[in-house]
Parts: sequence; structure tokens; C-alpha cells
Amino acid sequence: MNKLLILVVEDDPAIRNLMATTLKAHDYRYIAAPTGASALMQASTAQPDVMLLDLGLPDMDGVEIIRKIRTWSQMPIIVISARAEDTDKIDALDAGADDYLTKPFSVEELLARLRVTQRRLNFMQTSTPSPIFTNGELKIDYAAGCAWLGEQELHLTPMEYKLLCVMARNVGKVLTLSFITQKVWGSSTESDIASLRVFMATLRKKLSAGKEDAQYIQTHIGVGYRMQKL
Amino acid sequence: MRKTIHEHILVCLSSAPSNANTIRAAAKLSKAFGGTLTALYVQTKSADQMGAEDRRRLQRHTRLAEKLGASVSAVTGDDVAFQIAEFARISKATKIVLGRSAAPKGRIFAPKPLTEQLVELAPYLDIYIIPDSAGKNRRRQNPATRQRIRPSVQDVLITIGILTLSTVIGFAFHRMRFTEANTITIYILGVLLTALFTKNHVCSGISSLAGVLLFNFFFTEPRLSFRAYASGYPVTFAVMLFASLLTGTLANQLAVHAKRSTQTAWRTQVLLETTQRLSRAEEEEDILAVMADQLLKLLNRPILLRCANGVTIRRHPDGEPAEDFAGANAQRFAFACGGKPFGEVLVEGDALEPLESGILHSILGEGALAIENRQNARQKEEAAVVAKNEQLRANLLRSISHDLRTPLTSISGNAETLLTCGGGMAESDRRAMLTDIYEDAVWLIRLVENLLSITRIDEGHARLSMTTELVDEVIAESLRHVRAKTHTIETDLGDELLLARMDARLVSQVIVNLVENAVKYTPEGSKIEISARRQEKEILVRVADHGPGIPDEAKPRVFDMFYTGSQKIADCRRSMGLGLYLCQSIIHLHGGTIAVTDNIPHGCVFAFTLPVSEVTINE
Repeated sequence: MNKLLILVVEDDPAIRNLMATTLKAHDYRYIAAPTGASALMQASTAQPDVMLLDLGLPDMDGVEIIRKIRTWSQMPIIVISARAEDTDKIDALDAGADDYLTKPFSVEELLARLRVTQRRLNFMQTSTPSPIFTNGELKIDYAAGCAWLGEQELHLTPMEYKLLCVMARNVGKVLTLSFITQKVWGSSTESDIASLRVFMATLRKKLSAGKEDAQYIQTHIGVGYRMQKL
Repeated sequence: MRKTIHEHILVCLSSAPSNANTIRAAAKLSKAFGGTLTALYVQTKSADQMGAEDRRRLQRHTRLAEKLGASVSAVTGDDVAFQIAEFARISKATKIVLGRSAAPKGRIFAPKPLTEQLVELAPYLDIYIIPDSAGKNRRRQNPATRQRIRPSVQDVLITIGILTLSTVIGFAFHRMRFTEANTITIYILGVLLTALFTKNHVCSGISSLAGVLLFNFFFTEPRLSFRAYASGYPVTFAVMLFASLLTGTLANQLAVHAKRSTQTAWRTQVLLETTQRLSRAEEEEDILAVMADQLLKLLNRPILLRCANGVTIRRHPDGEPAEDFAGANAQRFAFACGGKPFGEVLVEGDALEPLESGILHSILGEGALAIENRQNARQKEEAAVVAKNEQLRANLLRSISHDLRTPLTSISGNAETLLTCGGGMAESDRRAMLTDIYEDAVWLIRLVENLLSITRIDEGHARLSMTTELVDEVIAESLRHVRAKTHTIETDLGDELLLARMDARLVSQVIVNLVENAVKYTPEGSKIEISARRQEKEILVRVADHGPGIPDEAKPRVFDMFYTGSQKIADCRRSMGLGLYLCQSIIHLHGGTIAVTDNIPHGCVFAFTLPVSEVTINE
């Protein structure tokens, strides 16, 4: 069933080869583009399902490419960055990227990200706009303003609930700290981020009640958080 | 070969209108020679009687000199030529620029012109004379003259009072039939007192003359007339006049000297104190504060001191911080540091006394010098740090290039073998070679991560991205990156939420390095415990293992760069001795400490602290 069409944008031939071989071996279809300009053309003509975008392209700034694509498409974009700094990833995520990988990455990691993306795509295609959100055991009734874990109603503070809703509405996407604090507090100061850490910790504790292995919320150190699609 | 001599040009400041031209000419000269320029003000006793206009003009000239790049100095003394020559000798001046000498011509006892005096006193000086184009200003070259003729009302009243008193006493003596000699003495005493209590020696002169006339009028026969019968009187009058004039002049000079020596003592004291306090000041801010304090002490007026580095210091005589005075009625003095303008001082009120202005410039000069020294010292420190970093970098590079060869040889060799004869090899052999390639590559990846972190740390705080992080999250995330299939890792993070400001990626690397070390140096199957606790203002994170431990003599050295332990464990075939050095650098950068202690019964504990971040939670 792995029939996703993946656009690989990467200027280095060796890495492009590696990704192509890996994708082929795991039944993905793929097309490749070595430059930003050709990537934009491929993205509009071939209509790929997912884009793997290297941020260090010779002709264009990666963040610029994301902005351009986001003007007409919501296709998932996974950025690949060689730099150790988090700022370029954060910029890319804030510009509309869904996920990121840091070079050097293992093949396993790449495949894991693609699986996450596929689940997210399936979720987006199948679910009709509904006032009820479900993800594994977790259920949120936006209209009633309450959440359940299995049969158990979650006793959340207003802040925790707000936070949970922001995460749920962007399920599968890595959200940057400033994105979340902007959504919840309307600002992004140092004390907002500290508050976010605290509420996220209590929220997680309530979500993982009983089951240690059910990790709904994933931490991305120095970047942000993501609600996983289970 | 031509030897270039550094030219030091001296120009004299005065309140004469033509002085501005002289200063400009000197500045041009200094520029042409590429030398340094010093403007010197010689304060004589007539300076005390300087008019307000002259004072302002002198201040304008001082500022002009500063603007043209001169450093301003002031000396005190009546013998102008001697003071200039001495200053030139001490400051090693090579050229001097003067306005045309103001010495009046045609008088028999006229002193030698300044230029000639200077030629005698300092024959090694090149003297440049700038002609005074406005001849009509000549009279005003000695600005004190007019002032001297017009004594103040107070002085006149004192003079009249003393003369009246002398006359009254004279009448008393006359009534008591004392000889005239006593009356004459009273008048001379009167002149002496006049000279002491008035600021103007015209008063004592007039008083001498009036004394003789009054004596003539009231006490010589015929009385109440200016005639005198006795033939000896003209001689008496002449002697009396001469004695009075002499007494008056001497007393006057005594008073002036007394006043000036107090002033000089005061000035010396303020300057001495400035020097002492400046030598104790460490930072630029301290130096500037000392300057402001001393200026306040000297002038007792509101002072505003501001600098190129953004520091603004206010001082007010009442102790209250001064209102931001607009500067409309303020005197400005700029000061330079290392040849570049550094700051300025605003003093509220009218133009300063020449003496005050002289000390002010000395204080500014000393302060600027102190700041310059401080800057030089800091530059030296920075240069030393850069040199040390360069050294470290060179060591690092050497060590890395050496250590990289082994894994690279393994990778390229294995890959080459697989490419050329991989087809004919047994599946198990191929797998073994591929595993080696993979493991060496992973090792290289770890090494590169550490190196990247080191370069980030070397570049200092600017490159850190500090955010408030939950310590639990950071530990949990770090452990996901540790490959430890052979060991059990237990975490104990307590119930309290521990928040700390940190660069999460770097701190995570500390935890990864510590745990991987524990994995590497302890036997398979042993346990590694990680805990985090709050200790007052700090968070203590401990990574404890149950391995063989570290001998006491090696403990102080484990954090050194390139230190590698001597344990012979198969897995540690390659260790660069970078990991713990990096951990220490990262923790120090966060304001924490890292240490190694023994675990009980055996093994070791690496513990580091991070400052707790106290936050208010936004509900």
C-alpha cells in the first residue's frame, strides 16, 4: 500500500542516491530535484504527496521554498538540515514545514518520519471536519470542551485543555515553542516558555496515566513538541 | 637612512583674542609634522583678576585646542617663560608656537620679550612666532590691567574706613600729646592693613598717598591746610610715602602668595586624591565615577558625565541626582581616550575660574589615561585568551587528524574490499565488514557532534541558545540517543518540576557523554543510575555507575582535554579525551559545576549542577 509519491530535493548526489535506494527498497515512489527551482517546478507539475527538502540548496533559501509552496499546497514537508543549530529548523517549521531531520540521520529515522507523515495524511484524508477528535485512547470533544482517555474523563485545567487542543489540531506536526505560546498566551516571552514547560509536563503526566508506553506528546529538544498520531 | 623624530609641539593658551589663530597655526604645524600637540596654560597671579569675557574666551580657546587634537595641561607660576621652558623640558617638546610677544616696546625697564627669555631658557626648542594680525588687540593682551585700576566698592569702603580710623587714632594721639612719629606709624599700619584686606593693590597705593595728605592736612602746622611750615616736612612726607608704598606692596604680595599657596595645596590635594582613587578603580565605570566625584568635590556644581560607551553619571552638590540640566547654561569639556573622543563633562553654571579649569583638565586627563590603561590591559587579556584558544585549537587539530586515520582506514579499506571482491566472499564475512564500516561511521558522527559543540563553546555565550527547559524532559530525550543495549539504565527524577535555563542541545550532550562513558567503562549487564534533585538554588544531576571506578590520582585530570583513561576495556579502543572536557566546558558556561566522586561500594558518580530558574507561571 506504500504508494506515496515523494519529492526528494537534495543537491548532493550521494545522499540523493542513498535516499532513492532506501525509498525504492521500501516501496515508495519518488522523484528527485537537485535545485530549488526544479523542486518548485516538480512540486507543481508532479503533485507529490510528501516533500523531503534539504535546507542547504545552492540556488535558493530552503525557507523561501517552503513559503512559496505553502501559498498553494498543504503537502507535508520534511526538512533536512546539516547544520547543528536549531534556528534554521525553527525558521523552517515556523514557515510551514511539518517535520525535520538532522544530518547525519539514519535510514531508520527517515523511514520513521515517513510513516508518521503517512499516518497524518491518512488522518487528514479520512476524517471529516468533526467536533470530536480521536487519537488512540484520547478523545476530545471540542463542542463540550472536555477530553477523555479511554472511558476516563481527563480533569484538565483550562490552560492544559487549551494546550491539548493546539497540539491536537496540529497532530503529527512538530510545533515550535513560539508557535505554541503564541497560540496559547498570544505572546512568546521567556516566562511563557517556562509556563509551557510546566503545563506540558502536567498534561503529559495526565495523558500517560496508567500506560507508560502511550507517548502522545513527543519532545524535540531545543525545537518544540509534537503530538504523535497513534 | 633618514631617522624620523617624533615631533611634540607645544602651544600656549591665553585669553588674548589672537590666541585662536596661534592655536590653529600650531595644529596645522603638528599635522604637517605628524606630531603630537599639547596646549599649555600658564596660570599667573593676574589670572585671578581676569574678567568674565576673558575667562570665556580662554575656555573657548581651550576647547578649540582640544577639538584640534591637543591635550591640554595647566601649570601655575608667575614666570611664564620659566614655566613654559620647564614644561617643554619635562614633556620633551620639540617645537613651541607663540603668538607675537606682548612685551611693550620703548620702555627702559621693559622685561625681555617672552621669545628671548625662552631662547635663553630652552635653547633646544624650535620657536615659531605667529604674528598678531589685529594690532589693536595689543592693549588687551594683559587683561588684568583695566581690572586693576578699578577697585571694587568693597575695597574702596575698606580703604576709606581704615583711613578714617587712622585719622581718629591720630587725633587721639594728638590730644595725648604723642609725637607725630606715632601718627605716621598709625598711617603706615593702616596702609599695611589695607593691603592685606583689599584684593587690589591700587587701594594700598591710594591709601599711602591719602595717608600722607591727611597727615599733612590734620596734623602738621598750620593744621587743616595742605601747607607745612617746618622745613623738614617735605622729607618726612617723602619718607612716609615711600615707606607706605613699600609696606603696601609687600603686604599685598604676601596676601597673594598666601592665597595662591592655599590654592596650590588644594589643587595638589584634589589631584593626589584623584590619582589614588583612580589607581584603585578597576572597571571603566569605577573610573568614570571617581572622575565625577572628584569634579563635584572641586567645583561643587551639578555635573553630568557621559561617554561613548553609553555610561552617564550625574552628580549633584545636594546629593540628590541632578535634574537633567539642558546644557544651555552649562560648560562642556570633552575628553579623549587613546586619540579618540571618549566622552564629555557638562558643568552647570558660568565659565570656570582658570584654576578650576586647569584642575578639571588634569582630572579629565588622568581619568582618560586610566581608562586607556584599562582598555590596553583588557586588550592584552583578550589577546592572551585568543592565543590560548589558538593553542588549544592547534592541539585539537593535531590530535584529531591523527585519530581520524584509524576509522577512516577501516571504512575505506572495508568498502574497497567489498567493491572489488565482495561477490566472492562468504555472507558472514561481508556482514562483518559492513558492521565495521557502520560502527566506525557512527563513531565519526559522535566525534563530529562533539567537535561542533566545542567550536560553539569557543565562540562564547553569543552562540548559546538559552531557553527554560524542564530537566526531566532533557534527560528523557538524551537517553533516547544513548545506545546501551548491554546495560540497565534507571532514572529517578523525583516529583518536583525542575526548570533551568540552558542550551538544551549542549546539556543533552553532557548527559549523553556521561552515560556513554559509563556504558563504555563498566562491565556489561551492570546498572547505571541517573537522578535529578533540587538543592536550594541548584539542580543536581547525578550519573552513577557500578564499574571499577576511577583511581584518586586520576580524578583531577579526567576533565582535561585529551586525557584518556588507562583502563584496558575492549570497547574503548579509541577515545579522544574530548568528552569530559566538553562536559566541563558546557557546565561551566551554564554557571554550574561538575565533579567526579566514588560510588559505594564501587564505581564512580559524575555529578553536575545547573542554576535553578525561578519562574512565574502564566495561568
